[in-house]
Amino acid sequence: MKRFFARNAPAYIFLLPWLIGFFLLALGPILASLYLSFTRYDMVSAPRWIGWGNYEYMFTRDRRFWKALEVTFTYVALAVPARLIMALGVAMLLDKGLRTIGLYRAIFYLPSLLGASIAIAILWRQLFAADGVVNQVLAMVGIQGASWITDPDTSLYTLVVLAMWQFGSPMLIFLAGLRGIPRDLYEAAEIDGTPGWRQFTRITLPLLAPVIFFNLVLQTIDSFKTFSSAFIISNGTGAPADSLLFYTVYLFNEAFKFFRMGYASALAWFLLVIIATFTAIAFFTSKYWVHYENERD
Amino acid sequence: MTKLTRRALLGTMGATAAAAALPAMPAFAADRTIRHYWWGNPERDKRTFAVIDTFQKKNAGIAVSGETIGWGDYWTKMATQTAGRNMADLVQMDYRFLFEYVNRGALKPLDEFVGKSLMIADFDKGPLDGGKVDGKLYALNIGSNSQVMVHNTRAFQEAGIDADLINWTWDDFAKACEKITAKSGGKMKGSDDLSLMIETFESWVRQNGREFYGPDGKVTATAGDVSSWWQMWADLRKAGVVRDKNKTVILDPPIAESGIAVGDTAMSHYWSNQLVGIQAVAKDKIGAAMVPHKAGGKPGQFIKPSMFLSLSRDAKDTSAAIAYMNAWVNDPEITGILGLERGIPCSPKIRAALAPKLTEVEKLSVDYFTAIQSKVGPLPVPAPKGAGEVRDAFMRIGTDVVLGKVEVAKAAGTFIEDAQAIIERAQ
Repeated sequence: MKRFFARNAPAYIFLLPWLIGFFLLALGPILASLYLSFTRYDMVSAPRWIGWGNYEYMFTRDRRFWKALEVTFTYVALAVPARLIMALGVAMLLDKGLRTIGLYRAIFYLPSLLGASIAIAILWRQLFAADGVVNQVLAMVGIQGASWITDPDTSLYTLVVLAMWQFGSPMLIFLAGLRGIPRDLYEAAEIDGTPGWRQFTRITLPLLAPVIFFNLVLQTIDSFKTFSSAFIISNGTGAPADSLLFYTVYLFNEAFKFFRMGYASALAWFLLVIIATFTAIAFFTSKYWVHYENERD
Repeated sequence: MTKLTRRALLGTMGATAAAAALPAMPAFAADRTIRHYWWGNPERDKRTFAVIDTFQKKNAGIAVSGETIGWGDYWTKMATQTAGRNMADLVQMDYRFLFEYVNRGALKPLDEFVGKSLMIADFDKGPLDGGKVDGKLYALNIGSNSQVMVHNTRAFQEAGIDADLINWTWDDFAKACEKITAKSGGKMKGSDDLSLMIETFESWVRQNGREFYGPDGKVTATAGDVSSWWQMWADLRKAGVVRDKNKTVILDPPIAESGIAVGDTAMSHYWSNQLVGIQAVAKDKIGAAMVPHKAGGKPGQFIKPSMFLSLSRDAKDTSAAIAYMNAWVNDPEITGILGLERGIPCSPKIRAALAPKLTEVEKLSVDYFTAIQSKVGPLPVPAPKGAGEVRDAFMRIGTDVVLGKVEVAKAAGTFIEDAQAIIERAQ
């Protein structure tokens, strides 16, 4: 015991700032929110224990909760594949060996850096407004554009397009993955006269599977947590007609607009369950479609 | 030498620290600080900080620290500070939140100061009583206001509208919309589409002889009230005399982007203390009309305290706080700075002092206020908890009506059901 401390004390002392931060700023609030999810708490009077009441209300009586799930799942189902396809496509173009690749990488990565910002969300709102740039361009070719943002039928797709545009970080990971594929495989295929698309499905995709898997998990988690763009574009309420009522936007409204901290905590814990489930599914199915190069079977 | 234990050492250190802190305390007391927290806009913030400067000059030894934030985040921050027992000494309060905060014990009553350090004996009784809960005064009225149909006077003149804008009816309103739209060749619509504005709808319900919320806080508006309201606007949309539906669905545009400001519409619904702000961004001269009446109906509008000052539970130096509060409503220099920006003051003396210095638009709001005195109904009971959520539901469900995705009668029924459920859950 004594030796353990003698040997490890300096390490723990160096770790101390992080440990304090973790217990005080992360673990503490997490446990508090678990407790609050079983209470009614309006931030002014003390929390009141109501057992499973919040969860019961959520599943049996809250119509907006189901609407929020519908919106979020639709978004994840569209945005994740769209973004990954976009990212892979651009990564493959860049992999063709451009001389100024560093510059292009930076340019294509830029939207991802800007994407989470409030300014882009506001810009997006202007672009897709009834008299916005998108419709002005469409009008030039004689198409009468819809009012994208204010029409509940189209508003969600403007956000999918925004998500697609922010392909930067999965693109960089794909690019690294593509670089890792041995060139001689392609050369061999070339000699055999394999057409390009077959090279893609037989060499690129299988060897890229671990990277695709990694990106898929990260992007799915990310998309479930989409907040700021939806919040800004929907005026903070999920408008029009709840078509942009993302789970996180609903959670925020319950917590900071209607001061139902207990209920919002319950929503947050259920979001964790959803994300964990999807990640688990991805990991479970991965053994059927992800193969690592150094695997022996 | 006695052996120094760890506990003894700590004890000594604590005592030393306490001793060191003691001499500092009188100095701290002489330097009295109070915090004032309000929701604002650039114009209001400018005036309020000028008030703080003036007050500090006249009251050496009292420092006022001002904290301001927009309406949207105001109540979130307030709730957080209340939960953390860290409320500002003086907080700006709104009629719809007053009862909630009093019931939670977050405010102190002012009665013990009235007549001693808070001189309000000659103030208008009605507006003053709006700050009472269960017979005790918890909030000092710092301005009153009422609903108003702001209109573009040039457009009205050009279209030749001669209706009496204080006593006019919804029929007159529809005709005015037609005339203005026709006169401008459709470039300027008669009015904003107000079908999703719950404030205007509340007047409609009162005109039908009901309140939106009954005395027990339950929803007393009926599905019939809602469907007749939404139907009237659907007809106006069909006639093409109100603003485009896409501008309606995106609600709460900043005043600078409103139809009145950009010249898309000739009328819209506001609160009377906003007249100054609207005129500042509108090209044409604006006028003030009442919300149209229902032929043979009851009065729909009411005069309400637009803002209050309240003393928070966490206030320590109450005498300094009350001195500041008293200056707000009595000091002629300070009330001169405030003007009518927060609403019409309820001290007749202050109103008289302000009268000669009013700008044109300020004069408009005073004249409007005088004209409507006998046309308004009683102040409704304060909205129950959950009213903000009901407002959101009204917009959400109404959006589907505006976009023609659901039948008016069906949507009206859904709204009333939802509103009742929201109020029930919020209690």
